[in-house]
Amino acid sequence: MSQSTSTRASPNSFSFFQELGGVILFQLKVIRTLLTTRENLKPIAAQIVYVFTRSLSTVAFAGIFAGAIIVLQFNLMLKRFDAQVLLGGLNTSALLREIGPLIISFLLAGKIGAFTAAELGTMRVTEQIDALECLGADPIQYLIVPRFTAIIFSSVLLLIFGLMISLGGSMAVARLACGLNPEQFASTIPRFNDAWTLASGFFKCAVYGTIVASVACYKGFTASGGARGVGRAVTLTAVYINFYIVIANFITSHIIEDLRELTEVITGGFGG
Amino acid sequence: MSIRFEKVTKSFGRRTILNGISFEVHPGEIFFIIGKSGMGKSVTLKHIISLLKPDSGQIWVDQSDVTRLSPEELIEVRGKCGIVFQHPALLDSLNLFENIAFGLRTPQYRKKRGKHLSESEIHQIVIENLGRVYLDEEILDRHPSQISFGMQKRASIARTLAPNPDYLLFDEPTTSLDPITTNAITDLIYELSRGRKRVTSIVVSHDMSSALRIADRILMLDEGKILEISTPTQIRNSKNLLVQEFLAEALIQEGSNTSS
Repeated sequence: MSQSTSTRASPNSFSFFQELGGVILFQLKVIRTLLTTRENLKPIAAQIVYVFTRSLSTVAFAGIFAGAIIVLQFNLMLKRFDAQVLLGGLNTSALLREIGPLIISFLLAGKIGAFTAAELGTMRVTEQIDALECLGADPIQYLIVPRFTAIIFSSVLLLIFGLMISLGGSMAVARLACGLNPEQFASTIPRFNDAWTLASGFFKCAVYGTIVASVACYKGFTASGGARGVGRAVTLTAVYINFYIVIANFITSHIIEDLRELTEVITGGFGG
Repeated sequence: MSIRFEKVTKSFGRRTILNGISFEVHPGEIFFIIGKSGMGKSVTLKHIISLLKPDSGQIWVDQSDVTRLSPEELIEVRGKCGIVFQHPALLDSLNLFENIAFGLRTPQYRKKRGKHLSESEIHQIVIENLGRVYLDEEILDRHPSQISFGMQKRASIARTLAPNPDYLLFDEPTTSLDPITTNAITDLIYELSRGRKRVTSIVVSHDMSSALRIADRILMLDEGKILEISTPTQIRNSKNLLVQEFLAEALIQEGSNTSS
C-alpha cells in the first residue's frame, strides 16, 4: 500500500509535462477571469496582507542566515587573493541574482504553496467548491484570483524585505568574522550591481512567484480522493514547484543575459 | 417543470457507474433514489446540475438539456436548483450568517428576483430558514468549525433553502443526524413539496423508512442500472431480493425508533 502511494507521489517525466500543460491552461483561465471581472481588489488586498504577514518571520530568519553564509563562503575564497574588499559587491550580486529569489520562492512553496494546495484541496473534497458553483459563484473568481495574484505580488514584496534583512545579516557577519566595516562592505556594491541586477532579481521573483501560485492553486483546485488525495496534491505541489523553478531559473538567467547583451550592443552602437 | 434522464451512461475509468439509465421526475414530486453505497446515487444527482458530465445520453431540466448548455446558460439552470451535499460544504472562512446568505448575494439571484435585496431582507430570510432547520439565531456569528457536524448539516440545508429554488436535490440529507432531527428534516422535505410552491425534490438516501414515509416514487439503483421505480406501496410488495433487504432494514429502524 505505502509503495503504491510513494509511486503515485513520485511523478515521471511524462506527468511533469502533462501537469505543465494543465497548469498553463489553468493559469490562462485565471488571468482571463482576473481581467474580465470586477470586485477583485478587496479580496486580493486581503490575501496579500495574509500571505505577506504569514511569511515575514520565515523570510527574515532565512534572509539573515543566507546573507551570513554567503559572506563566510566568499570570504574563504577572497582571503586567498587578499580581495576581501570585494565581499560586499559579490555578496549582494549573488543575493540579488540567485539566492534571494530562490530562497523566497522555495520558502513560499513550502509555506504558502503547500497551505494553499491543502486549503483548496480540502475545499474540493468536502464539496465546498461544488457548493460555490451551485450557488452561482465562480470559484475561479472567488477563490483562485485573490490567492494567485497575492502570491505573485507578495513574492516581490518579500524579496525586497528579504534582501534588506539579508544585507543587514551580511554586513554584521562581514564585520564580526571578516573585520570589514559597513562602509567598506557597501563601497563595492555598485561595482558588481547595476539596474540589470536589480531587474533580474525582481523578474525572477515574479516568475517564481507565478509558478508557486499557479501550481499550488491548480493542484489544490483539482484535488480528488479524500484526505489521501489532498495529501498527494500537497506533496506534488512541492515537487512540481521545485522542478519548474529550477528549469525557470535556467531560462530566465539566459533571457536576462541575452537582453542585457542586446541592450549593450544597441546602446554601444548608438554611442559609437 | 420536470427532470428527465435519457439513456445516461457514466464511467470512471473502467468502472461503469450509470449504465444507460432513463427516468423522469414529475413537478412537485418527492423522488427518492435508494441503493447501496457506490452504486451511483450521488453521481446521478451531480449530473442534474452538471457537476459531472455523462459519457452519453441527455439530462433535461425543464426544457434545457444540461449536457449541452453554455456556462452562462448553466448558471441559469443551477439557479433553479438547490443542492444539499453529503458534506455540509459550508465555507470555512465565513460565519454561518454569511454562509446562509451567500446565495442571496450572487448576481444570478439578483437577476432571478429582478432586484437587489436589502440587508434587512437578507437577514429576515436567513432567520426564517434557520428556524426551518431548528437552529438558534445565536449560532449565526459562529464559524462552521465551531459547531457540531449535525448543526453544520442543518445550516447547509438552510443555505440551500434560502434562495427558494424550484428543485431541491438532497444527497443523504439526514446522515449523522439524530432520529428526532432526521424525522424533522424528512417532514420539512415533505412540507416543501406539498406547500404553496410545490418544490420538486430528489432525495438520495439509504434511509428506506423515510422514503416509504414521504416519497411519491422510489428508484432503486443497483450496479449502474435501475432495479425498480415504484410507489412506496409497490415497493413494500416487491419480490426483488435487494428491495426486500432494504425493506427489512427499514422495519428494524422503525422498530428501534418506536422503542426508543
